[in-house]
Amino acid sequence: MEQKFIKPPVEIRYREELEALKANDTGNRPENWQMSPKAVRTFILGSPKPIKHGEKEYLIEKKYFGNDALVERCIVTLAGNRGLMLVGEPGTAKTMLSEFLSAAVSGVSTNTIQGTAGTTEDMIKYSWNYALLLAKGPSREALVPSPLYVGMEKGILTRFEEITRTPAEIQDSLISVLSDKVLNVPELGDEGFLFAKPGFNVIGTANTRDKGVNEMSSALKRRFNFETVMPVREAAMEKRIIVNEVNKLAAESHICVEADEDVAEILASTYHELREGVSSYGHRIDKPSSVMSTAEAVSVYYQAMITGYYYGDGTLSMDSLVQTLVGAVSKENKDDLEKVKGYFNTVIRDKSSKEGGLWKEYYEARKWLK
Amino acid sequence: MERILRSQKMAEIVLLPVRHHSPACAWHVSRMIEKLRPGVILVEGPDNANALIPVMVHEDTKAPFAIYYSYHDQTGRISEEKDHYKCYYPFLDYSPELAAFRTGRELNIETAFIDLPYGDILAASREGRGLLKAEEEKSNYNDDYLLSRNAYLQQLCEKTGLRSFDEFWEKYFELNGIEEESERWFGNLLTYCTLARENTPTEAMEEDGCLARERHMAARIREYAEKTGTAEGPVLAVTGGFHTPGLKALLEKGPVSGEAGESVPETDQGVYLMPYSMEAADALNGYASGMPFPGFYQKIWEGLQETTLPYHDAVLDMIVTAGKETRRKEGYLSTYDEICACAMAEGLAQLRSKHQPGAYELLDAVLTSFVKGEYNIATDAPMRFLRKAMTGNTVGALCRHADVPPILHDFQDQCRNFGIRTGSTLEAEATLSIFSNPKHRRYSMFLNRMTYLKTAFARKVKGPNLQLKRDRNLMREIWKYKWSVQVNSALIEVSVYGATIEEAAVSLVKEALKQDIGAGESVRLLTQVFEMGLQEQLQPVYDRVYELMQKDTDFYSLAEAVKSLLMMEELAGLYDSRMAFGELVHIGCRKLIYLAPSMAKIKDEDLNACMNALKLLYQITGREGDAFAREREDYYDVLGKMTRDAEIHPGLNGCIHGILYGSGKEASAEVEAVCRGYLGGTREQLFSTARFFRGLFFTARDLVFIGEQFIRMLDEFFGQVDQEEFMELLPELRMAFTYFTPRETDKIAGAAAALHGRSRRDILEREEVYPDWYSYGKEMDAYVKARMQL
Repeated sequence: MEQKFIKPPVEIRYREELEALKANDTGNRPENWQMSPKAVRTFILGSPKPIKHGEKEYLIEKKYFGNDALVERCIVTLAGNRGLMLVGEPGTAKTMLSEFLSAAVSGVSTNTIQGTAGTTEDMIKYSWNYALLLAKGPSREALVPSPLYVGMEKGILTRFEEITRTPAEIQDSLISVLSDKVLNVPELGDEGFLFAKPGFNVIGTANTRDKGVNEMSSALKRRFNFETVMPVREAAMEKRIIVNEVNKLAAESHICVEADEDVAEILASTYHELREGVSSYGHRIDKPSSVMSTAEAVSVYYQAMITGYYYGDGTLSMDSLVQTLVGAVSKENKDDLEKVKGYFNTVIRDKSSKEGGLWKEYYEARKWLK
Repeated sequence: MERILRSQKMAEIVLLPVRHHSPACAWHVSRMIEKLRPGVILVEGPDNANALIPVMVHEDTKAPFAIYYSYHDQTGRISEEKDHYKCYYPFLDYSPELAAFRTGRELNIETAFIDLPYGDILAASREGRGLLKAEEEKSNYNDDYLLSRNAYLQQLCEKTGLRSFDEFWEKYFELNGIEEESERWFGNLLTYCTLARENTPTEAMEEDGCLARERHMAARIREYAEKTGTAEGPVLAVTGGFHTPGLKALLEKGPVSGEAGESVPETDQGVYLMPYSMEAADALNGYASGMPFPGFYQKIWEGLQETTLPYHDAVLDMIVTAGKETRRKEGYLSTYDEICACAMAEGLAQLRSKHQPGAYELLDAVLTSFVKGEYNIATDAPMRFLRKAMTGNTVGALCRHADVPPILHDFQDQCRNFGIRTGSTLEAEATLSIFSNPKHRRYSMFLNRMTYLKTAFARKVKGPNLQLKRDRNLMREIWKYKWSVQVNSALIEVSVYGATIEEAAVSLVKEALKQDIGAGESVRLLTQVFEMGLQEQLQPVYDRVYELMQKDTDFYSLAEAVKSLLMMEELAGLYDSRMAFGELVHIGCRKLIYLAPSMAKIKDEDLNACMNALKLLYQITGREGDAFAREREDYYDVLGKMTRDAEIHPGLNGCIHGILYGSGKEASAEVEAVCRGYLGGTREQLFSTARFFRGLFFTARDLVFIGEQFIRMLDEFFGQVDQEEFMELLPELRMAFTYFTPRETDKIAGAAAALHGRSRRDILEREEVYPDWYSYGKEMDAYVKARMQL
């Protein structure tokens, strides 16, 4: 049965790749893992040679760009005794990485707690189906397991998104689970001990812009290994990510347009320079306060592309790119738009006179910056 | 490893490729020597350092140490500048070259260096290339960069998923290489080096002086091979892996006639051993070649002699060291964190297919397990501690027979002369009456020179500071000095500049003068020269200052220079100097007058500097003598012109009017008129009256006391501004009144009070508040408060 999703989970999107990797995996597997750490690494960072499985050959593409060593550290952490906490600026692909990791390690990326200010302890541990509870009394049948419960029961990874958005006291309910690997359900009496199966671990993600909202307690911090995910530092790599991701999004929405390399380069360099505060020509730039992440750049590009697809001549125009850019940067602060204007009037002006072509069109589209 | 079997007459030649600083390489070199039992061991390194080999292998000599090469280009072979050049060849215990020498000594095998002397390498390099590269502050003889900087390697790293050449090297040649057979290990290295060489353009090698060196080395190897003959073992040549393929080609081609040009004079070259430190040897400290983390690899080298798993032990050791330090300084780390770090290092090693965890697994493990929260400058303490431990802090030592450059002898002589003990490393103090005791003055000159040479030997804790023009009334200098091995190293480093401390200081001053500096800086340098007592030799400094003063167009820099010159002119008698500062002062003065008109529209923050400069000019032009009479006229002309500029800074305007009044060029009525102009002007202009007063009082505060016009004006000014504006202007006004003595302020206040029909007493004495009034008020307050809360 062909299912339709806006965004299919990783394990469905890459099902064949995962199957191929599993079939060819010769490394040692930690208990309950779907594949060996080396195969997990290959799944995320790609393999130079195609892998044969059945009739077909699969070339495993690199899915996560940036820091390879970080991915390796994450994999080793998950095989160990501590949880993994990914922290970093918004839009640095923390969630994406955690999905890849859980899909590869456990075969499921959907066992997730979505942290919000309203998250309560029973969403983390367990709650009850009250009809059954009244009819049959406390029993495993009447218990509604949380993703954490499921993870412990089945020996799979549990993802905890935006952990610092949940109140600190709720976060702390993880502490004993992470250190003792046991969850006590007192209502079930003697049978109320759920011992975590091997393979269970937690991947948390937290946003550094939220710092101070609900600071994690040091007791909880001790139970995690922290990995700081940095924004992509090279404009060339950022361009590659934009092209890859936009093409993926387009394919999912059945839009038959491919991302344009040159436009992606312009957008990547704009985002890169505004984030770093210095242009490739050495201009000093005022940094906008809103998030200039690669994920934002991807969405700006994609927006502009579908605008062209549905309303324009099917191609992406610089005008619509700049219009979308305005919407993206002037979310938080009005001054940001002024900063982008300043950027166009100095850096883009110089680039347009030196490089010409698309850069010139881009510069001329500055009229939409208002 | 390349074996070259030549004719019947010659010994077999074995070429052994190495990378400088590599525990595995040093280990395999020793094994190979033990196995091959060569007749002679030849090592890459300038051959004028051959005399140092016995000191290098002496058992009292402890690594790290470095060979220091210097070359003074007196014949102008390299450039017309006739510069000084220096470079270092550091050795650690795990340097393969040192391992070769040490094993050679144990087995009684002759050893020698075979490369071109340093000066000849320089002569063979194109400008800006090889050892003549300008960007590196401390140039290093090692040429490992030849192995690590090429396109081939970049692709290799990308393919293998490794971060850098150093990680690549560690994985394939260190971690997995220790267990290999020596022959196979050298075979692998040679393959790598051949590929690296094939991907380096020949022109680049020629420009780096690389090919000239190889020709020289090949000729030396051939000489030794012919001398040794076939009876003894082979001739073993230990050279950087990059050169091995080149040497092989040269040796197989047969003797090459005519070596590279004439060599540079031996006398212009210096070569000495000096103690070195791990910090200096660490590649991460900005020295381009060499291997990072010397402290870590030193542990590996020590471990290699005892265990088969040295990396496990070293990684554990480093984790514990960093953990302990973090616990002590940051107070949060547990033993469990350390256990996790060890598990992480092992896990990463397995994942990355390394036999044991290495430096990069160690770094990753500590990063993941010790850093809590986001990794940033506030949380990176564990990483800093780890890096420090991995760099190590060992400082080497030389045996007593080590030869030292003449500058060190000079240092010892002078220390003896002044009664300074150099054996002890305790800090001592000296109080010098520099103006009354000629010997003390010489002592001070010596210490000043040592300070200028950056030897970290002495520091002045008290005494006149001519650079900052402070404490000039002090008659004595108090110095603290402390001898250490680093002082000797620092002196060896500057030995290229001269045979005595005085000579070195003179050469360094000359170097400093060649740079592009302003007049202000050049005069600051002159003050140092003055303190160091170098004036006899320093006509060039004087000439250069002269030239810079002519060229400099920065008003403030010039003013600074003139001020320092005036000071030195005053002090010349005390410091026993015979330099003619007067002429320089005159030039500076003329230039300042010439530049002054453009200063009318200065910014607020420049006001003080500008006013001081004008006052300085007033002093200079007020001097006796015909020479200054003309300047004096020009000066007043310029001042007049400046005041006519409508946009002149009000403070400066006030200052100039003050000067003009003081010199009798202007009557007080004229000054008053200008002041009235501001007072009666538009709102903005009214506010600048405060600044005008500040300038005026700076140069002519006596104006206030003749007649009551100015006090009246001040009073009028206060009357025109409201409370809020007054608060805004207050800082400026406070500044204006700081130029008065307390007694004068008092007098002004009295006069101001009189204008309002009060006496001085009335301002000082306030009406008394009786205690019962106060308590009544307090009660009332409480009552109202209570009522309002109801």
